Amino acid sequence: IFFVHRASPSARGLCIPTRAVCDAETIFALSSGHGRCGVAVVRVSGPASSMVLRNMAGLTQALPPPRTALLRRITDPKSKELLDRGLVLWFKGPHSFTGEDSAEFHIHGGPAVITAVLQALGSLEGVRPAEAGEFTRRAFHAGKLGLTEVEGLGDLIHAETEAQRRQALRQMDGELGRLYQDWSYRLKRCLAHVEAFIDFSEDELIEDGVLNQVDSSVRQLETEIERHLKDERRGERLRTGVQVVIAGATNAGKSSLLNTHRVPPSRGTTRRPLVEREGVRRARQRVEQADLTLVVVDSTQLPPDPQLVAAFLQQHLSTVLPSPEAGMTAASDKVLLVLNKSDLVPEEQRERTEGELRERPGLPPACFLSCSTSTGLEDFLTVLQSRVKTLCGDPLSGAPSLTQARHRAHLQQSVQALNQYHQYRDQDLALAAEGVRLALTHLGRITGRVGAEEILDIIFRDFCIGK
Amino acid sequence: HSDMRAVGKWTWLTLKLHLLRHNVLSFVSSRTGSDFTRRQYDVIVVGGGHAGTEAAAAAARLGAETLLITQKIMTIGALSCNPSLGGVGKGQLVREVDALDGLCGRAGDAAGVHFSILNRSKGPAVWGPRAQLDRERYRQFIQSELLSTPRLTVLEGSVDELLVSQPNPEEPGHHRVTGIRLVDGSHPILSSSVVLTTGTFLSGSLFMGQTTSPGGRMGDAQSCAGLSYTLKETLGLRVGRLRTGTPPRIVKESVDLSLAQLQAPDKQPTPFSFLNTHTRCKPEEQLPCYLTHTTPGVERVVRESVHLNCHIQQDAKGPRYCPSIESRVLRFPGRRHQVWLEPEGLTSDLLYPQGLSMTMPPELQLRLLREIPALHRAEIRTPGYGVQYDFVCPTQLTPSLQVKSTQGLFLAGQINGTTGYEEAAAQGLWAGVNAGRTALSLPPMALSRTQSYIGVLIDDLVGRGVTEPYRMFTSRAEFRTYLRPDNADLRLTPRGFEEVGCVTLRRYKKAVSVRDGLQEALMALQSVALSSTRWREKLVCSLTLLYHVSFSLSGLDLLQYKDVSFEMLASAFPECLSQYFEYSQRLKIEAVYRPHCEKQSREMERIRSEESLSLPSDMDYLSLPVSLSQEVREILDRVRPNTVSLSKTTTNHISTVYAILVKCYKYLQIMCLIDKLGYFLCQ
Repeated sequence: IFFVHRASPSARGLCIPTRAVCDAETIFALSSGHGRCGVAVVRVSGPASSMVLRNMAGLTQALPPPRTALLRRITDPKSKELLDRGLVLWFKGPHSFTGEDSAEFHIHGGPAVITAVLQALGSLEGVRPAEAGEFTRRAFHAGKLGLTEVEGLGDLIHAETEAQRRQALRQMDGELGRLYQDWSYRLKRCLAHVEAFIDFSEDELIEDGVLNQVDSSVRQLETEIERHLKDERRGERLRTGVQVVIAGATNAGKSSLLNTHRVPPSRGTTRRPLVEREGVRRARQRVEQADLTLVVVDSTQLPPDPQLVAAFLQQHLSTVLPSPEAGMTAASDKVLLVLNKSDLVPEEQRERTEGELRERPGLPPACFLSCSTSTGLEDFLTVLQSRVKTLCGDPLSGAPSLTQARHRAHLQQSVQALNQYHQYRDQDLALAAEGVRLALTHLGRITGRVGAEEILDIIFRDFCIGK
Repeated sequence: HSDMRAVGKWTWLTLKLHLLRHNVLSFVSSRTGSDFTRRQYDVIVVGGGHAGTEAAAAAARLGAETLLITQKIMTIGALSCNPSLGGVGKGQLVREVDALDGLCGRAGDAAGVHFSILNRSKGPAVWGPRAQLDRERYRQFIQSELLSTPRLTVLEGSVDELLVSQPNPEEPGHHRVTGIRLVDGSHPILSSSVVLTTGTFLSGSLFMGQTTSPGGRMGDAQSCAGLSYTLKETLGLRVGRLRTGTPPRIVKESVDLSLAQLQAPDKQPTPFSFLNTHTRCKPEEQLPCYLTHTTPGVERVVRESVHLNCHIQQDAKGPRYCPSIESRVLRFPGRRHQVWLEPEGLTSDLLYPQGLSMTMPPELQLRLLREIPALHRAEIRTPGYGVQYDFVCPTQLTPSLQVKSTQGLFLAGQINGTTGYEEAAAQGLWAGVNAGRTALSLPPMALSRTQSYIGVLIDDLVGRGVTEPYRMFTSRAEFRTYLRPDNADLRLTPRGFEEVGCVTLRRYKKAVSVRDGLQEALMALQSVALSSTRWREKLVCSLTLLYHVSFSLSGLDLLQYKDVSFEMLASAFPECLSQYFEYSQRLKIEAVYRPHCEKQSREMERIRSEESLSLPSDMDYLSLPVSLSQEVREILDRVRPNTVSLSKTTTNHISTVYAILVKCYKYLQIMCLIDKLGYFLCQ
């Protein structure tokens, strides 16, 4: 509780840390460089390392002898799916870099494999992605670093931080970054308003309504983050491929689309056999599981009056697609409309219909196409390719997988913490606020740390607080 | 020598007169008149406010021969601003000061005339014990407490100068404090350490309307110019300037209280002190407070008087919050603001309008007050005024509150840029502890921010510094659910006795017995385990939550539920639980918070381990033979971090800063080993 504040090391001797104090958690990180490489090294450190090794490398019996490489099949502990074959190593603490029990996975360096392994690790109980420089910090606390290592430590940590920072920046610049920043801002306000209510409502005019606003903001945030977590399967798609389902009425041209024209050989894209009318229920189920659905419509069946086409398509989609509650609507970016047999429709009618559809925000993009004449194929392929790219993320833009696994973990914890807010809202506001604080801490690991002063800034800006 | 004796005798007389006048007859002290001839003390405390009194009492409790010097003995323990103690965050500080055997908690129990627990509906971690005080009773309690403290001498006088000499080469620092010299005494009074708690008196000036006058408090002597000079010029300390203010005091009779809303105290007062089971004021003797609001007329008067208000005109770089009614109205126009009318004591004929601190000319103050319906005929006894004063940038202090550059010099209270009685008392106590330890050749100590609000307060001050008067809020504490008012004794008292030495045996024994009792009770609660169905039968109540639970639950598990009280469980298991009735509230709180505190314990460990990696304050960053850029060296040289702790670093470069500090630390660690080796070789 009290610690001796030693004024001078020479006079009184320094207190030297002797063990890894704070680190009951098990962490993992990609320890080899980012970008494409032949072999990637994923390092795990902490008390659960042996559990991780057993689970991931299928070691039911004894662990391998320490510091000996072993070739194993590396599998997902939950789904038992094979992820890669690679070398695993076991380091019994204190004979490891960090002084703790550690494990290493030497796997193939492709982004898909790395993502898969990192996500599998992240799914294990009590295991989380490491923060910048955390391995080195643990090593320091365990007394593992000599002066020369410490000399290099700054640069090393700097490099790690820098790499993460650049990566974070790259993401933060984009849409995702704006999204996270927005959540962080709203969460900060929520926390500031709860804190204002706790610290000042007895002396100052702070209406009870403030908490009701926080209630709805927190709920809204929860929904948004959860939805985001559900949608963000890009890394997995990269590994397992994109599931495309072609759906449509009999003789709409599904088979022609699959057979006559090759789906572009985009990386990681696999072909799925078309869904014949094997019963509406099963068909819908497949659509529900699909990453992308191509709804094929026979153009000749469209109403000749272009103004009625949109309503017709709307109606058609609702019979093909599962109900909106399943998260799939006609407007979803997981659907493309293919208006086949365009060669059988008068050109003038086609053009007018196209113009009509362009202005319909409630409908997915529609492409006129003729499977027999290949007219419109080029345009369709462009649209399809861009869709696939969005779904997979661009594998050439570096290795976002590490950050992604980290983000997912923090976002999940953030949502869990927000749940605590609701749980305690009416019982104990201090514990409810703790939930928001915790959520912000986790989000802060992505968007930047939030200190008490920043919260006070918001409080003093939004409320008139006296002396 | 004879001068000293004269000063001493005179003080002695004043004290006696003073005591007689206040009928304090319990004057027990082994002190004799000849004590005042001493010219050598272990600790000298300058200032008799909340920081000074706690510092002097703490140093004396520790076993140090202590001298408290104050400008006026009469004003020792005076509440110079609001007549209240505690509140949200501040109440936690009072409880902690009490747990370390300080004065303010017990003084509050003796002087309180209106007790209430704020935030009662918001969870026990943020409950704010608070009391309106009787000014006279508070002062009397503090004075009689100090006079009956062994090893403590009180002297009336003004300190002219701080005596400094060459530093002890074994310790870091450029100077060493050796004592003080009084304005009217040519002889120095020597000491091993000095605690300065001069409040707003460091280059203080008072503001009212367009007039300014030197001083730290209306009606008191001028500021300590000599002391200011020593601090700034001789010791080269960086100072900043802050402002505060106080409202006018209103004649109670002139107020139409029927137009204000009555605020009743708690029916059963809760004492601040862990030693007290009840307060001096009986429940039915308590006085009410009144709540009223500002009107558009108030805003108008403020706007019309801005040009006559020096204090406000200089408010360009003011604090983020609104210290005065002027700043409230100007920053948040068109709103109603709350005004609390607080009693000043049982016999006082005054009311204190909390929320109406103002610095406009007195005639306008009256006009402003009368714009409020309840105050439409109000009379002012003393007008409000503003104070501007110097504070020493607290980043120049160590976590023991010692000035880094000056061995043996400690600062506490407003001089460090804080505001509030409770913040001052907390620092005073800790500075007194360390001044005493230094004088007794014990190593200084720091309080962890993971274990107390006092630790949070000091860590924030010395780690981050201040830009506006620092006030405690519960939101500043990362581990708020653990730093609760109910468990301050468990957190601090045993260690305060065993390690620090500032806690008396009586209190220690009490805390230990409470700790053991709670421990036993928690074990007893854990030992009773039943299935949820059996619990429902036993408790004869509809606990809907329990329908979803299939495994068996212990009494402790059950106590976490909102609708379950210890009393219910005790009636179900009277044989093993009824003996713990006295702890029922604390057990309930413990049961609810324990799981959360356990979750946080890892983070606490981390912060504590980093706090323990302390860096010496005399580290030569500029020539440290590790690879650091010149820019970083200069920053470190200026900031002089106390530990490698990251809690203050809010930038995104945490890891980099951490690495640098670790680098410095490691270097020292190795140098230290080499030192030791060299020592053995010489042997």
